[in-house]
Amino acid sequence: MSTVSFRGVSKRFGVSEVLQPLDLDIRTGEFVSVLGPSGSGKTTLLNVAAGFLAPTQGKFFVDERDITSLPPRRRNIGMVFQNYALFPHMDVGANVAYGLRVRKISSAEIATRVARALQTVQLEGWESRAIASLSGGQQQRVALARAMVIEPDILLMDEPLGALDRQLRKNVQLEIRRMHLRAPRTTLYVTHDQEEALVMSDRVTVMRSGRIEQIGTAEELYHSPANTFVARFLGESNLIPGEVIDVASGKARLSVPGLERPLVGRAAAGVAKAMKAAAMIRPENIRLRPGGLHGRIVERVFLGEITAMRLVVADGIQLWSRLLGADVPQTETMDVGWRDEDVSILPDEARSK
Amino acid sequence: MARAIGLKLFAALAAAIIVLPVIAVIPVAFSAHSYARLPPEAWSLRWWAAFFADPTWFAALIVSLEVAVLSAVACIVLGTSAALGMNRLPPVARKLLAGVFLGPIIAPAIVLAVGLYSLARSVGLVGSLLGLVIAHTMLAMPYAVLNIGVSLAALDPRLALAAAGLGADRWRIFRTITLPLILPGIAGGAVFAFVTSFDEVVLAIFLSGPQVKTLPVRIWEEIRVEYTPVVAVAATIMIVLAITGAALGRLLGRVRQEARA
Repeated sequence: MSTVSFRGVSKRFGVSEVLQPLDLDIRTGEFVSVLGPSGSGKTTLLNVAAGFLAPTQGKFFVDERDITSLPPRRRNIGMVFQNYALFPHMDVGANVAYGLRVRKISSAEIATRVARALQTVQLEGWESRAIASLSGGQQQRVALARAMVIEPDILLMDEPLGALDRQLRKNVQLEIRRMHLRAPRTTLYVTHDQEEALVMSDRVTVMRSGRIEQIGTAEELYHSPANTFVARFLGESNLIPGEVIDVASGKARLSVPGLERPLVGRAAAGVAKAMKAAAMIRPENIRLRPGGLHGRIVERVFLGEITAMRLVVADGIQLWSRLLGADVPQTETMDVGWRDEDVSILPDEARSK
Repeated sequence: MARAIGLKLFAALAAAIIVLPVIAVIPVAFSAHSYARLPPEAWSLRWWAAFFADPTWFAALIVSLEVAVLSAVACIVLGTSAALGMNRLPPVARKLLAGVFLGPIIAPAIVLAVGLYSLARSVGLVGSLLGLVIAHTMLAMPYAVLNIGVSLAALDPRLALAAAGLGADRWRIFRTITLPLILPGIAGGAVFAFVTSFDEVVLAIFLSGPQVKTLPVRIWEEIRVEYTPVVAVAATIMIVLAITGAALGRLLGRVRQEARA
């Protein structure tokens, strides 16, 4: 188990800069997700860590050792691919044993370790099954066992749940999380699924266009996003554009056309007086408050335990509110409000670019 | 209904035109007459005995088998290397090279024969087993490269990455991952090469010599003198071997499909 560091790593294919120089440190035993839309450079980052791609610039360290130019086979990594990349001509046991055979371990020990690895992924005794006879979820677990049995310094996973259906994905997410908590292993997990990242990770890295937008715990990213891109990418959010009146002791005031009073909230880094910005309020923080902002309900979406409502509160300003079923008003209008600590004033990425 | 029957008749006719001349030779091989006639009025195995009793016929069969097996081996060794190399090229270069590899299929056999003959003469390979093997390897190579190339293209490149990540070096990846997975393509290439060489006659006529001649060449020589039923025996042996080869190729193709599923 090891610490991992990307220092100034960038990657260029021809003229397109897939990764801009970035730094990322992962602590020993930490589970870090890299979350981003396709084309954000997250898989490139993983391939640099695996040694499948050489960075154009920068260095990659494991335990403070520069292994940038080390070929994949000397890196002691466990890699799980999106399509699992199981060897179709070998049975489950031979797939899991592959990395151990390469390491010239005695066949008695290989058998023991393979059996233990399969037990960990709840496929005890499945050694002689053919790969083609397994379901997607089972193949995914074999791939996980194959990657972990070699006791890798780092575990790298590239959208390993992407091919599973939704229900199975949720189960495997929790399984991977529990496995990680039982035996923490330094892990870099690439996904475009925000829920996956939130459920499993110690920290989440949000990427866009080859850059890291923010690194933090799920709570930090959710409650204090660095900008509107992160706010939009993680969870649902109301983003109200306006202009910053002033910033003082970490709080900013935003004047919004159509609203009488300015919005007050936590000022994100980079927010300055007179700049265009957006106020972010999560829909669950927009609550019923008689005498508050008057809103007309134009849409109701039943989501089970909660109901989402789209409100028009002023000309051109719409807010989504999410209320527990019992709190949902049956009227055409409702008065809403929020606490200032639930508001973040964010640099507006769309407009600053 | 009438149309369907007409269609079936037409198909049967087409099949007959293709197949009849080929199988017509088989009864002749079992005839008791001393000349070829259809249908034979009396049956015997005397021409089979004559075939195996005549050392020149049997030697020709052995030479044909030797040349076909050696060409097939050479084709899959060279063809696998070529296909692996081409697989790493950028698409444009790969297509250009594939065109070059198709050359022996497109070029008229007689042109190849004349060219090869003058080359072989200058290095003393006319009438040698090696000369025939080289010529047939060249002729059959496109089939081997194509077959193996198709298998390679269907191979998920991430399998090799996964193996490398697990610590395998290039040779080990080739031995344990790539080779077993393209084996059906290699076997198919081998069958194609064997059959191509076994029934090849144009190059073989030019490159055979008094000591070394293939079965088709021996048939050709015999028939120029006299059409005896022993020629039909030789032809029947060739048909059986060719059908066996083709069936083997189909079987391997099916194994490959099942391995995919």
